[in-house]
Amino acid sequence: MRNRIHSVTTEIVSIEDDVNNIKIFTLSDPDGWPLPSFMPGAHLDIYLPSGLIRQYSLCSDPNNKTQYMIAVQMEIEGRGGSSEMHNLSEGMILPVSLPRNHFSLGDAKRHIFIAGGIGITPFLSMLPDLISKEIDWELHICAKFGEKISCQSLLKKYEKEPNIYKYISHGGNRLSIEKVISKIKSDEHLYCCGPSSMINDANINGKALGDRLHFEKFGIDEHLEDAAYQVVLKKSGSVVKVPKGQTMLGALRVAGFDVPASCEGGICLECKTRFLAGTPIHRDLVMQPSDRKEFITPCVSSCSSESIELDL
Amino acid sequence: MTKNLARWSGEIVGLHKTPRSFLPMKNFRCLSLIAGVGIDGDRHATGEAFHSDRPEEGRQITLFEEETIDALLRDHNIILRPEDHRRNVTTRDVPLNHLVGKKFKIGEAILEGTRLSTPCRHIEQITGLELFNQLLNRSGLNAKIIVSGKIFTGDEIRMV
Repeated sequence: MRNRIHSVTTEIVSIEDDVNNIKIFTLSDPDGWPLPSFMPGAHLDIYLPSGLIRQYSLCSDPNNKTQYMIAVQMEIEGRGGSSEMHNLSEGMILPVSLPRNHFSLGDAKRHIFIAGGIGITPFLSMLPDLISKEIDWELHICAKFGEKISCQSLLKKYEKEPNIYKYISHGGNRLSIEKVISKIKSDEHLYCCGPSSMINDANINGKALGDRLHFEKFGIDEHLEDAAYQVVLKKSGSVVKVPKGQTMLGALRVAGFDVPASCEGGICLECKTRFLAGTPIHRDLVMQPSDRKEFITPCVSSCSSESIELDL
Repeated sequence: MTKNLARWSGEIVGLHKTPRSFLPMKNFRCLSLIAGVGIDGDRHATGEAFHSDRPEEGRQITLFEEETIDALLRDHNIILRPEDHRRNVTTRDVPLNHLVGKKFKIGEAILEGTRLSTPCRHIEQITGLELFNQLLNRSGLNAKIIVSGKIFTGDEIRMV
């Protein structure tokens, strides 16, 4: 289980029902202290009581320094995260990560958003920012046939905005992504968040946009490019998988191994651990060459072999 | 060196605390220092700090030089506000790197430097600024509180 002090501690102050089996959670510090700030498009990792970790986009105004809002749609056929979220109650403590952003606004004269279903959420943190800066935007929101436009209660404040277009697939005016993309000018960016079919559609039709086409992406830190590998722990006899995008230290913590660490940047050597087999990629800044033959710093270092064995 | 060190005199230019790990630091005009414990209401005193699972007597209060803030701006164009460096006290004209093992007076209180602070990725995560490398060797001082007392911005800091 994750140590509480290694997370942002929030309290669920309200849970509101929205359409399409969505619940909107408002989180704040238990004492009302300001929360870590976030940029438009950011998301949180939520550390659920069962140990599951799930990512949800922040859908509140980044200028609100004391509250986070996330919207969670129940997925009956899902892996259990949304179901557990829907069983939480107001007043419960919910540890979360610092806000992270893999879906930030680009430098554009105008931003065009396409949202499918619950994919509206990251745009709800972008709109207040663009409106306050008087930057042009356009929002296309799609819903499946038989569903309603998601997060209606949060969209209410934009009712009078003329640049919001709503579509119900099949039964009505299905959005033509191709048509939207054909009108995008050279100083405009397109953002798409929704089901994979929608993203594929945007990807196929929007290839020419290059870096001006953005998709929602969770889970992988861009600076962590090493391939996945596994850590064999000799003393405990365990094997911990380190997926692409996670540090060795992070994977060990998730697996319940509390490796002491301090700077998490490769200089304090508090996490220095003896390795017994495998080919380490050392990324610490201070260890002596002789020590590097025996030790590794799991906070920043990795391995180029399929596995590495640690004396843990 | 000891003789020169005894001549300096600096001041408190900022005071900051936060009740829990990751939360933004707030600025205060006054902090209450409790000997052997920490700062009243700060995460290091309540066991709510990121490192509280590894308690350290020498981390009851932390200090940071305002000169480093100036240098980050001058040399790297990085704007670091005093409440962003995550230390409790921002100082001016105090040679923090020379105070490990030394006792010094700060307002009503007396501190003893225990070790140099090391930069931490934690600060990059919180501020969103890439400044880990820029803070090497100038990331402030950890200290323990020898004599309790209130400290205010503008108070003098000097050797005991």
